[in-house]
Amino acid sequence: MMRIRFGLRAKLLLLASVLFTIPWFGYQYVWEMEKYLRYGQEQTILGTARALATALHERPNLFNNQASFLPSVEQGKDFYGYELKQAIQLDGLPNDWPNYENRIHLYNQQNSINPLLANINSEHMFTATIAKYGKYLYLFISVVDNKVVFRPTNAQSIVNNDHLEIALVDNSGVFNRYIIANKQSGWLDSYRITHLSGPFPEVANFIQGHWLTTPQGYNIELRIPLTHVGDQIAFAVHDVDSTTEGISSSIGSADPSQKETLGTIVVPSPEIERIVKGMSHTNSRIWVVDQHKRVLASAGDLTKAGGVWQRTRLPDDNTNGNNLSPWQQLEQNWLIPLYYKFLTKPPKAFIDNLYDTQNLTGQHIETALIGDPSSQWRLTKDQQAVVLSAAYPIFINQQVHGAVIVEETTNGIRTLRNKALEKLFSAIIAILLISAVVFLLFASRISNRISKLRNQAENAIDENGRITASITASTANDEIGDLSRSFAQVVNRLSQYNHYLEGMSSRLSHELRTPIAVVRTSLENLSLHDIPQQSQQYIDRAQGGIARLNAILTSMSEATRIEQMLVSCERVNFDFNRVLNGCIQGYQQVYSTINFHYKPSDKALSMNGSPEHIAQLFDKVIANAAEFSIDQKIFITTEYHSKEVVVHISNNGQLLPEQMHERLFDSMVSVRKGSQDTQPHLGLGLYIARLICQFHQGKITATNHHNPQGVTISMSFPRT
Amino acid sequence: MSKRIAIVEDEAAIRENYADVLRAQGYQVQTFANRESATQAFTLQLPHLVILDIGLEQEYDGGFTLCQWLRTLSSTLPIIFLTARDNDVDTVSGLRIGADDYLTKDISLPHLTARIAALFRREDALKQPSAKEHILNLEQLEIDVQRMTVSWLSVPLDITITEFWMVHALAKNPGFVKSRQQLMNESKIFVDDSTITSHIKRIRKKFIKIDQTFDCIETVYGMGYRWNTANSNATNHITSSVTDQE
Repeated sequence: MMRIRFGLRAKLLLLASVLFTIPWFGYQYVWEMEKYLRYGQEQTILGTARALATALHERPNLFNNQASFLPSVEQGKDFYGYELKQAIQLDGLPNDWPNYENRIHLYNQQNSINPLLANINSEHMFTATIAKYGKYLYLFISVVDNKVVFRPTNAQSIVNNDHLEIALVDNSGVFNRYIIANKQSGWLDSYRITHLSGPFPEVANFIQGHWLTTPQGYNIELRIPLTHVGDQIAFAVHDVDSTTEGISSSIGSADPSQKETLGTIVVPSPEIERIVKGMSHTNSRIWVVDQHKRVLASAGDLTKAGGVWQRTRLPDDNTNGNNLSPWQQLEQNWLIPLYYKFLTKPPKAFIDNLYDTQNLTGQHIETALIGDPSSQWRLTKDQQAVVLSAAYPIFINQQVHGAVIVEETTNGIRTLRNKALEKLFSAIIAILLISAVVFLLFASRISNRISKLRNQAENAIDENGRITASITASTANDEIGDLSRSFAQVVNRLSQYNHYLEGMSSRLSHELRTPIAVVRTSLENLSLHDIPQQSQQYIDRAQGGIARLNAILTSMSEATRIEQMLVSCERVNFDFNRVLNGCIQGYQQVYSTINFHYKPSDKALSMNGSPEHIAQLFDKVIANAAEFSIDQKIFITTEYHSKEVVVHISNNGQLLPEQMHERLFDSMVSVRKGSQDTQPHLGLGLYIARLICQFHQGKITATNHHNPQGVTISMSFPRT
Repeated sequence: MSKRIAIVEDEAAIRENYADVLRAQGYQVQTFANRESATQAFTLQLPHLVILDIGLEQEYDGGFTLCQWLRTLSSTLPIIFLTARDNDVDTVSGLRIGADDYLTKDISLPHLTARIAALFRREDALKQPSAKEHILNLEQLEIDVQRMTVSWLSVPLDITITEFWMVHALAKNPGFVKSRQQLMNESKIFVDDSTITSHIKRIRKKFIKIDQTFDCIETVYGMGYRWNTANSNATNHITSSVTDQE
C-alpha cells in the first residue's frame, strides 16, 4: 500500500487552516454585538414608551370620555371603532370591510332587549361591526329575516316595519335615538326620535347609508359623523313581520331606550393621537391602550419601525452599478448573494395581524396594566421579523388608566448586523485568499528550496559514493540556507577527503618510489661488487621483491594516470568495429592458448572518443576473462541497437559473488581467491575499464551466466 | 679527460648510489643536495651532464627551475630528469623546459648508465661528421644511430633519447608490430602501457609539427605500434595477418 505523502506544503496548509477560525470568531463577535444592540434597543424602546407615558400621566380629561372608567367591557355591547385604512363604499355589501369575518359580532335571541319578545325559535338575528374612517363612524349590520317588511309608502309610522334603532350619547352628553326605516331598498331613511320640536320624527340626514335586501334578509351599511358620536352607543334591530302586528323580535347590542343602558364605544382619541403623533418620528410603532387594552391611539407603521438603527444607513447603500470597482462588483454580484444564502435579510414586507386593535394581547401589556413597565420579544405571525415591544403604564391618580406600547422590529439591527457581517466576510475572504496565496507561495518556496537541496545532495554523490558535483551554498540567511551551507561544507569536506583518498595511490606510489629506488640502487650497487655466492641468492630475492613492489607501484600509478589522461584526452571520430577487430586479432596472438569466439563485423561503426583507450579497455576485460576462463574459451558478441552498441565478453568459470557485481569495478577490488601467482593484483584493471567506459558515456556491468557457469562483462556505448 | 656529471638529488642514499655507479664507470661525479649549492657550483663551472631531481628539499619544482636556469647558460648541456614523479604533466613540462630525457626512478642502474653513455655519445657524434653506415634511411625518415638524431623530410626532430629509441625500434622493422613491452625493452625504460601510449602520441606530434600529413606510426589495437612505409598498406597487413591466423 502506498502511503500518502504528507509533505511540508500540506502541513503548512493544514496549519494555515487555523486561520479559518477567524471568521467564526468574527461571526461570534457580530452576534454578540447584535445582542448588545438588542439590549440597547430594548432600553431605548422602553425609554420611548416611558417618555410618551410621561406625557400622558395625570391627564384625566384625555381618558374620561374614553370609557376607561368602566370596570369591565362586554363583548358586543362595548365597541371599539377600528380605524379603517380605506374608504367604505356605502352599498350594503360587506366586501370593502377589511377583515370583515373576524370583526363581526353575532347578535341572536340571547341579545334580545325585550325579554317578553325573546323567542328561542325565532330565526331573527344579525351580525354587526363598527369601524372608524375619517370623520365618520361606520356601522355594518347584516340581518337574517325571513320576511322583510318595508315601511309602506305614505305610512307615517316608522316603527311598524323592520327598523334599526340607534342610540348615541354625543360628546356633550346629549342622549339621542335614531330610527332607520326604509320604504324600499336603497338610500337610508333616518329619523331622530328624541329632542323633537314637533310630534313627528325628524329626518336625520347626517346618518347616511344603504339598505340592501339580501336572500336571507337585509344589510344596512351606514355612517354617522363622529361629531354626533360620544363614547356611548347602542343599537337594536326590530323585526316586524306584519305592518299590523307590531314588533315580533328586538335584538340589540344594548337597550337603546335610555342613556344608562347604552354600551360604550371607543374610537381612537384624536387628542391622544396628537400627542402620540409627536412621538411618531422615532421610527417606532406606538400604541396607547386603555385599561381594557383597547387602542386609544396609534402611530407609525411597524414595517417602517426599524428602531433607532434604521436611520444608520451605511453610505454605500446608494451606490449604483456604474462606477463600482472590480472588488465592489464582485461583492455585489457574487459575494453578497452568497452571504444571503445563510444570512436573513430583514423583510420589507411582513404581516403582523397579531394585534386586534380592539384588544391588544401580550404579557407585557398585562404587566404594564398592573403597573410595571416591561418589554417583550416576539416573532411576527409569518415569522419574518422579530418585534420588540415595550409597554409602560399610564398613571392617573395612582391608578393605571392605560399603557403606552412601543413596538419596533429588529430590522434596523439586523440590517446593521448584516452589513457588519458582509464587511466581515468580505474582509475575511480577502484575508483568507491573500494569506492562502501567501502561505502557498511560502510553502512552495520552502518546499522547492528543500527539494532543490535534496536534488543537489543526491546529485552530489553517485551510487558508488563518489563526489560528482559540489553543492552551491545558498546565501539565504535562514535555517534552510544554513542547512544548504552545511551540506555544501559537508560535501566539500567529503570531496576533499575523497580527493585525498583518490590521490592516495598516486601519492603513495610517488612517496614509495624514492625509498624503493634507494633499495634498488643499493642492491644493484651491491651486485656489482664481489659477494659470496651464498649472499647472492638473498640479493636476488630482494630484487625480486623490489620488482614486485615496482609492479604494484606501476599499476597504482596507471589508474591515476589514466584518469589524468582521460581528462586531457582529445576525442576523435573512429571506427569502433575496426578497433574491436584489431584488438581481437592482437589477442589471438598474445593469448595463444585461448580460443576466441568472435565474428568480426566489417560494418563501419562511427564513435567519438579515444580509440587507444577503448583498446586498453578491451585489454583489461579480455585479460580478466582470460585469467578466469577454465575452458580457454572467450565469447565476444556485439549487439547493435539504435542508440547504443553493446559488447559482451564472456568466459566460463568461477561465478562472481552476488554482492560483488557492482563493486567489481571499484578501485582496489579483487575477487581472486588468494594470490598463488607471483604477479600482484590490485583490482585496478576493471576499475580502469570503468573509467574508460565512463569517459565514453558508456556503462560496464558484470553478470553471472549459467549453463555453463561463467561471467559476462557487458559494455555499452552510445552511438554517435 | 673523463666527463663530469652533476647529480642534484636531495635523497642522500640514492644520490650516493648513483654517484658510486657512475664513478665506477669512470666519470667524475659532483653531488648536490639542493638548488643553491648546485647553482653556486654551476656558476663556477658547468659539468658535462646534469641529472636532476624535480623536488629538491623544500622546493617542489626546484629541478625545473634549475633546468631552466641551466638552459640559459648552455643550450647543449645534456640534462636528464630522474624523478619519482611519473605523471604526464610533469613529463611534458620537464621535456618542454629542455631536458634531454625524463626518467622515473624505476629505471635500473645499467639502463641509466646506458642512457648517460648514449647522451655523451650523441654529443660527441654531433661534433664529428656523420658516418654513412650509421644512417638508416626509410623514405622521408632518416635516423642517425651514431648521433641519435631523427629527421623527417630532412628536418631534424627535437627528440629525447627515449623517443629516439622508440622511433628507432619501430623504423628498424617497418611493417612489423612492436608491442608496448618490446618498445619498453628497446628504449630501456620500465613504465606502464599508457605511458608508452603517451610517448607515441608525443612522437607523432613532433612529426606532425614538421609534416601535417604524417601518419607512419600506426596503432595496431590490442597489439602495439607499427611503422608504415608509404607503399605498405595498413589494412592489407591486418587482413593478411588475420588470414595467417586462420
